[in-house]
Amino acid sequence: MVKIAYFDADVVSPEEIFMAAGFTPFRLLGNPAIEHDKVNEHVPPTHCVWAKNILEQAIRGLNPEIKGVVTSHGCDCTNREFDIWVESVEIDFLFYLNVPLKRDKIALNFFLNDLKELVYQIEDRFKIKIQPEKIKEAIKLNNQIRKLLKEISEYRTKMILKGSEFHELVKLSQTNDKKKVLDILKKKLMELKNKTRFTEKKMKRILLTGSIIDDTEFLIFLEDKGFQVVADDLCIGSRYFWNTIEEDKDPIVAIAEYHLSKPLYSTKMPSYDRFEFLKFLAEKYEVDGIMNIAMKFCEPMLYDHPYMNKKFKELKIPYIFIEMSYNREQYKQLSTRFEAFAEMI
Amino acid sequence: MPEKKSKMLKATQGLKNAMGRHYLAIEQAYRDGKPTAWATSGCPVELLYAMDVQPMLPENSATISAAQKYSQKFIELAEEEGFSYDMCSYFKTNLGAVMEDVDVYKGGIRKPTFMLSSDVICDTHSHWFQVQAERFGGVPHYIIDVPHVVSNTSKRQLDYFKKYVQEQMWELLDFIETHTGNKIDMEKAREVAANSYELSEVWRDIYELRKNIPSPISTKDTFGGLFPLFTMPGLRSPINLYKRMYREAKTRVDAGQGALENEEFRLMFEGIPFWYQLKYFAMLERFNAIIVYEPYTFAFSKFFSNPFEEFSKERLLKDPIECMSALMLSFWYIFDLETRIKWFKETVKDWKIDGVILHNNVSCRPNTTTFYDLKRRLGEEADIPCLIIDSDQNDPRKFNEVQVTNQIESFIEILRKSKRG
Ligand code: SF4
Ligand code: SF4
Repeated sequence: MVKIAYFDADVVSPEEIFMAAGFTPFRLLGNPAIEHDKVNEHVPPTHCVWAKNILEQAIRGLNPEIKGVVTSHGCDCTNREFDIWVESVEIDFLFYLNVPLKRDKIALNFFLNDLKELVYQIEDRFKIKIQPEKIKEAIKLNNQIRKLLKEISEYRTKMILKGSEFHELVKLSQTNDKKKVLDILKKKLMELKNKTRFTEKKMKRILLTGSIIDDTEFLIFLEDKGFQVVADDLCIGSRYFWNTIEEDKDPIVAIAEYHLSKPLYSTKMPSYDRFEFLKFLAEKYEVDGIMNIAMKFCEPMLYDHPYMNKKFKELKIPYIFIEMSYNREQYKQLSTRFEAFAEMI
Repeated sequence: MPEKKSKMLKATQGLKNAMGRHYLAIEQAYRDGKPTAWATSGCPVELLYAMDVQPMLPENSATISAAQKYSQKFIELAEEEGFSYDMCSYFKTNLGAVMEDVDVYKGGIRKPTFMLSSDVICDTHSHWFQVQAERFGGVPHYIIDVPHVVSNTSKRQLDYFKKYVQEQMWELLDFIETHTGNKIDMEKAREVAANSYELSEVWRDIYELRKNIPSPISTKDTFGGLFPLFTMPGLRSPINLYKRMYREAKTRVDAGQGALENEEFRLMFEGIPFWYQLKYFAMLERFNAIIVYEPYTFAFSKFFSNPFEEFSKERLLKDPIECMSALMLSFWYIFDLETRIKWFKETVKDWKIDGVILHNNVSCRPNTTTFYDLKRRLGEEADIPCLIIDSDQNDPRKFNEVQVTNQIESFIEILRKSKRG
């Protein structure tokens, strides 16, 4: 299986283009268990540890099945680190996708140009032709996956599926062959239809938001503390499947429009609009509280937190904000804060 | 070691007046009900002047807070509001200063008619203004989204990048008209652009004089000297000030005089200085070392610090909007790594630099991200010693004077040895 990987602070990578080019899209995930031996020679200590973790893995050498990496405009860290990737990562193909900061018509036209450039560079580098029909097929397949994930996601809210298991499913969807993913999700849905609640215990219903959260162990930790994540707006979560791509128009246009109209992340502007989707989720899923987890040094989150705090206070929804480093020891160290939050709600 | 003092240009004293006039103009604008705008660095401030909008630069105000020793207090106030210890200290200084409603001489800045930011230098800028626009109760905010030029960006990409910025520039003009009623006057835009070009040109010429051994000017003239470029590009008055600076520096060159009596080591300083401790830079002079180039202050001479295109006055006058858009694509302060390495190597050669100090400013991730690779490559390819010091531009809590001094002393020793060969 040949793959194109994406290093994405959000979830704005055009997977369907990679699929149409014959590659399996593969989201690069961090590994909190590794040491940062190499990356510390390239990136200063006060930069996002998650982004450094991915770069560490890339400098050590990615899986040979990965033939290229596409990085998307994320934050000040990821944007500038791309040059270090060019400098120090052995890979055939590296592309920086300038996903616009804004979402208007001018931005859309620009994004179209950048997506076309990506198509051009993949074609040029791998000596292939990306057929629009193939992109359309990929869109259809991914839309099925998105719809299934959205349906399965409802089972977390009914306490039939653990939040951590669902998180694993989204990760699986972003890292495997999509046909295989489709089969797995279909089976999972059948299975869930016949299942009952996994617990009779009253678990706190949580809406999880924040920087990228790719370590499922964190959700397991939360479950141990009595929290069930019933909804989220994460990139390894709802933002991956909430909307679908239009199937009956020019596929590149449809992809561009999709990414500029789905729920917004703090890396895009006006990032305060993110609150609206969170509010919608909080009300729809009747959550007991909201957890906003920022990766240490994650400026986009750090800027938005006081606003979110104020807005959720107005709505009288309990809200906790935690800055966290990318290592599992931290979860234990933060135990008392989570316990206090559990008591509060 | 005896204290040595480099000589500041007499003309630089005029800087205070020039900046004073800037603040008076702001006050006058409020009195007259004239529209005002906040702008982040990297934005086309000239267009504001061209549309009769009085610009205000919060970054400039934040440096004043630091120089007047208020920044720490303002930063701590922002932190009490929930903004993290790790965030950009310019932002937090500005937030604290506005919360305290202090006057301009402490870095205060008033609510504007609208705000203009861009992500050309950092995404932080747009987040910062979003926070402030909301806190003021909803100030209109226009963001110019500038695509990031990275090490492998192609020429073809640059073309549609530029088109994107240009389209936004036209939209910005409409935005300004909507919020102020002022229309763009192309004749005025040309006049303002021509002034900005001239200002940039004189600044470039001043920099050229620094190539001389000994260098006629030090950072005493350039760190502060940068502000008119930043706040008043497009006005006549700073041009005259820079011309006086130039003439005086030229006289020194002709007389073989340097700013420092016994210039021994010529340094380059990359990054924003510590505004709360500017005196600290004089410490270098004890070692007969002088900073002769700062990419940060030269960056604002934007017509002459663009790596991709030539910007002639003719081109600018023909189509100021096209030119301003193209200029926005890149900035010496945050060049992509490959361009940075190339420009550092050329600068080191042309300005006969012995060593480079890189300020790993913990406030500024965009500027510092590639420092380690920059240092390594400069060492390998240009055999130029580099020192990285950790600190912060506005937050004195993050400046460890003893540690930095020790590092600099050792660095000077290295330079001494390498000079002796
Ligand atoms: S976690 Fe935050 S700082 Fe890190 S890559 Fe994502 S957006 Fe950037
Ligand atoms: S110091 Fe850096 S991060 Fe802060 S505003 Fe300036 S360029 Fe942006």
